[in-house]
Amino acid sequence: MATHMMCKSTAMFCWAIRGLSPIKSYIPASAQCGLLMQIAHYNPKPLKLNLKDPYIPDKDSEKTPEWQKTAKYDRKLFGRYGFSSGTDLAKLWPSHAQLEDMIAEEREWNPPLEVTLKNVEAKEKEANAKRLAREKLVAANMAKMPKMVADWRKEKREAKQKLKDEKARRERLLAEARERFGYAMDPRSPKFLEMVSEIEKEEKKKRKLMKRRLKEDQSQAPLAAPSTGSS
Amino acid sequence: MSFTTKPGGKALDILQNLPRISLANLRPEPGTKKAERRRGRGQHGGNRSGRGHKGERQRGNRPRLGFEGGQTPFYLVIPKYGYNEGHSRRAQYQPLTLNRLQYLIDLGRIDTTQPIDLTQLVNGRGVTIQPLKRDYGVQLVSEGAGIFAAKVNIEVQMASEEAIAAIERNGGIVTTSFYDPRSLAILCKPVPFFLSGQPIPKRMLPGEDMVKYYTDATNRGYLADPGQIQKARMALAQKYGYILPDISKDALFHMLSMRKLPRQIFFGLSPGWVVNMPEKKILKPSDEKLLQYYNS
Repeated sequence: MATHMMCKSTAMFCWAIRGLSPIKSYIPASAQCGLLMQIAHYNPKPLKLNLKDPYIPDKDSEKTPEWQKTAKYDRKLFGRYGFSSGTDLAKLWPSHAQLEDMIAEEREWNPPLEVTLKNVEAKEKEANAKRLAREKLVAANMAKMPKMVADWRKEKREAKQKLKDEKARRERLLAEARERFGYAMDPRSPKFLEMVSEIEKEEKKKRKLMKRRLKEDQSQAPLAAPSTGSS
Repeated sequence: MSFTTKPGGKALDILQNLPRISLANLRPEPGTKKAERRRGRGQHGGNRSGRGHKGERQRGNRPRLGFEGGQTPFYLVIPKYGYNEGHSRRAQYQPLTLNRLQYLIDLGRIDTTQPIDLTQLVNGRGVTIQPLKRDYGVQLVSEGAGIFAAKVNIEVQMASEEAIAAIERNGGIVTTSFYDPRSLAILCKPVPFFLSGQPIPKRMLPGEDMVKYYTDATNRGYLADPGQIQKARMALAQKYGYILPDISKDALFHMLSMRKLPRQIFFGLSPGWVVNMPEKKILKPSDEKLLQYYNS
C-alpha cells in the first residue's frame, strides 16, 4: 500500500514538473499599469486562402466540371482571389434580364411599405368592425334579457299554479264523490267520470246564469245611474 | 530553474514562476478520469455487449417519442387546443439579457465606442443565431436592468420596455430593426458572404405581421418617425422616473446618432456593393438600372 502511494505521489510530482518546465516570467500587461481597462479586441480567423497559387479552372477544358464554369463560381473565385481570378467584373452583378426577374419577384412578394401598412390597416379595420357588430348584437340581446327572464319566471309560476289548481280540483271532486257514494272512488271509473261531467255541466249552467244576471245588472245600472244623477 | 535558498520561498517561487494556465497546459487531475469500458472485446467478441437480444433495443434505433408502433398515437387521437399551432414555423428571437450585455462589455468582448449590431454580438460570441432554424435575431430582455451601466448604441430585433428604459437611462440608444432571414445570415456571418463575391442584397421590409411592431415608436422601431421616438423616450423617462441624458452634448454623439437605413444591412456599406476580402476593396456598381434597383 505504501509503495503504491509513493508511486502515485512521484507521478504527481512528475506531472507538476512537466507543467513547470517552460518557465518564463509572465506578467499581464494590464497589471503593470495598475488600472485594469478592458479594450475590445477582435481576433479574426485567418482567411485560409491559397493566394499565392490560386486554382483558376480552365473554362475551355473538357475536364473542368460544369459547376466550375457557372457565373456563381466565377463570383466565388473573385471573392476569394480578387482581380487575379480573371473574372469579368460586370458579371458580379445580375444581368438586365436577371434584374427584371428580381424586380418582378420583389413586386410580387415584397410590396412597398405603404402598401403593407394600408393592408394591415384595412385588415384591422375589418376586424374592428366585426368585433363592434358582435358587441352591438350582444348589447341588444342583453338589453332584452330582464324582460325575458321576467316572462320566463311568470310562465313558470303560472304553470305551477295551474298544476296546483288542478290537483286541488281533483281532490275536491274525489271528496265529493266519496260523500255522494259513500266510498273512495277510482278516478278512472265510469261512474266517477259521469259524476264529473255532471258537475261540470252544472257549473257551466251556473256560470251562464251568473253571466246573464251580471249583464242584466249592468244594463239596469246605466238606466238607474242617470236617474240618480238627475234627482 | 533558479530556486532561492531562503526557507519557505521555494513554493512561492514555483507559484510565481509557473506559467499561466492555458488550454495548452490544462489537463485533468491524475486519477480523476476513468477509462471508458470497451464493450464486446476479447472473449466477449460475439456477444450482445449488454444490450439485450435483437430489435430496436439492441440496435439503438428506438422510434421517436410518442410513436406507438404504427397505431395512431395518443397525441394525435386526442385533439387539443391550438396553443402550439404552427410552432415549427414561428419566428424565434434569442434572448439577450442586460446582464449578459454588461458582461460582454466588461470583458472587452464588445466595443461600446462603435454601434453594436448583430455582427458585433455574434463576433463577441454573445449570442448564437441560427437563421435556418427560424431565428429572426435577438430580443433584449430586462434581466440585469438594475446593474446595467454602459452607454451603447445597440440595434436589436426586439426589446422589452424595461430594457429600453435601462439603456436610455444611461444615455444609450436602442433601435429595433427587422432582418429577413437572408440578410440576417449575411449580418451574422459577413466573411463567408463576402468570400462568395456576391453584391450585398437589399434588406427586405417586414411583412404584414411584423410591420406594426417596427413602425411603433414605443418599440423604438427603425421605421418609426424620429420625432415620435423622441417623444416616446421622454414619456418612458417620465414613466420610469429618470432624467433623460442629453445626447447632443455627448462626446460620442456622432456614434450614438448612427443608424442604418431601412434597406442597409451593414453600417457604411450600401446594398449593391461587392466587398473583396483578400484585396480589401469595395466595388460599386455604376449601371443605371442596377443603381435604381439597389437604391429603391
